[in-house]
Amino acid sequence: MHNIKTFLFTLTLFASLNAVALADDAVYSIRVDGLACPYCAYGIEKKLNAIEGVRFRDMDLEKGIVTVETHDVTLSDEQLKQLFQDAGFTYRSKQVTQQ
Amino acid sequence: MKPVRLVILLASCGLSASALAHDPVFGLGPHVLFKEGVEIAPEARTGKAGDNRESEFGLELTYGLTGDWAAGISLPYERNSTGAGSQSGQGDAIIFTKYRFWREDSPGAQQSMSLALKLKTNTGDNATSTGTTDYITGLAYGYESRSWYRWAALRYRINGTDDAGLKRGDRMLFDLVGGYRPKLTGYREPDTVWLLELNGEFSQRAELGNITVANTGGNQWFVSPGIFWTLRNFAIKAGIQIPVASDLNGNQSEADYRARLILEWHL
Repeated sequence: MHNIKTFLFTLTLFASLNAVALADDAVYSIRVDGLACPYCAYGIEKKLNAIEGVRFRDMDLEKGIVTVETHDVTLSDEQLKQLFQDAGFTYRSKQVTQQ
Repeated sequence: MKPVRLVILLASCGLSASALAHDPVFGLGPHVLFKEGVEIAPEARTGKAGDNRESEFGLELTYGLTGDWAAGISLPYERNSTGAGSQSGQGDAIIFTKYRFWREDSPGAQQSMSLALKLKTNTGDNATSTGTTDYITGLAYGYESRSWYRWAALRYRINGTDDAGLKRGDRMLFDLVGGYRPKLTGYREPDTVWLLELNGEFSQRAELGNITVANTGGNQWFVSPGIFWTLRNFAIKAGIQIPVASDLNGNQSEADYRARLILEWHL
């Protein structure tokens, strides 16, 4: 009985560690055109935060860079193009840094 | 129709310009709202022309249908007074839509053009309604950069005829606006833009039956300083219209001033 418990515990621990290892955390630096005023850009924050696994971090209006953190999510070019179109801006490119 | 009511109706044909996002305070701008976004904007406006004073408290609700198309409703409560007395009540509701048909984005700047349509319903109280259904169409251009803004717009208002046979004259409005942001701030910081508007109004004479009403219509020009203060998804807009030139037909009181204050939330 004791051996079975030990085996199950070891299996659970292994599975948990494996899940952590597989978790895909990344930071996206997204270049966007049309960012002139902070108030008008609020829709970007709202739309990004509406995606599960995505957290808006900040926006550099001078450089036209929007930064988000992702967890187990991959943001495609098509997805970002549509998202920024819906927010009223133009998506240009992204740079992904794995954490 | 009583003379007082006639005066009030003629005075109350000022245009409620729904001001979306970073649009000018009095003029029309090309801004819309992000898709599925909601804008809630309570506002107060007042104006004085001789013995006539108009005040309005309104609530404007806007919804972003797409990233380039918004629609909404404006619900005003009005109080109008003349030397002979005052009247107050629910004003005519306005249904509006705006479509941004052209947008060009570049790093830190955006140019766009929009078409706006409004329907002023005949839903207000007798004392504060114009008693007509009016149509307003507008075309707006805007350029926004981190430091400088410029807008231009043209609007035309077609007024209906009320039950007494009074047709207020159609009206054309012209706006030229410049804006300047003195300090470049970050996304989460308070942001201020100063505005200076030139607003022109060109009104035709009213007609009662087929008879032209003498003391109606004419042209007015206003210079309108304003401010746009924002913090993330909250904005305060305020401005005052100062008349700089008037050419009104017959015997009419020239505008002394008009003022407007808008609070705005994007949700």
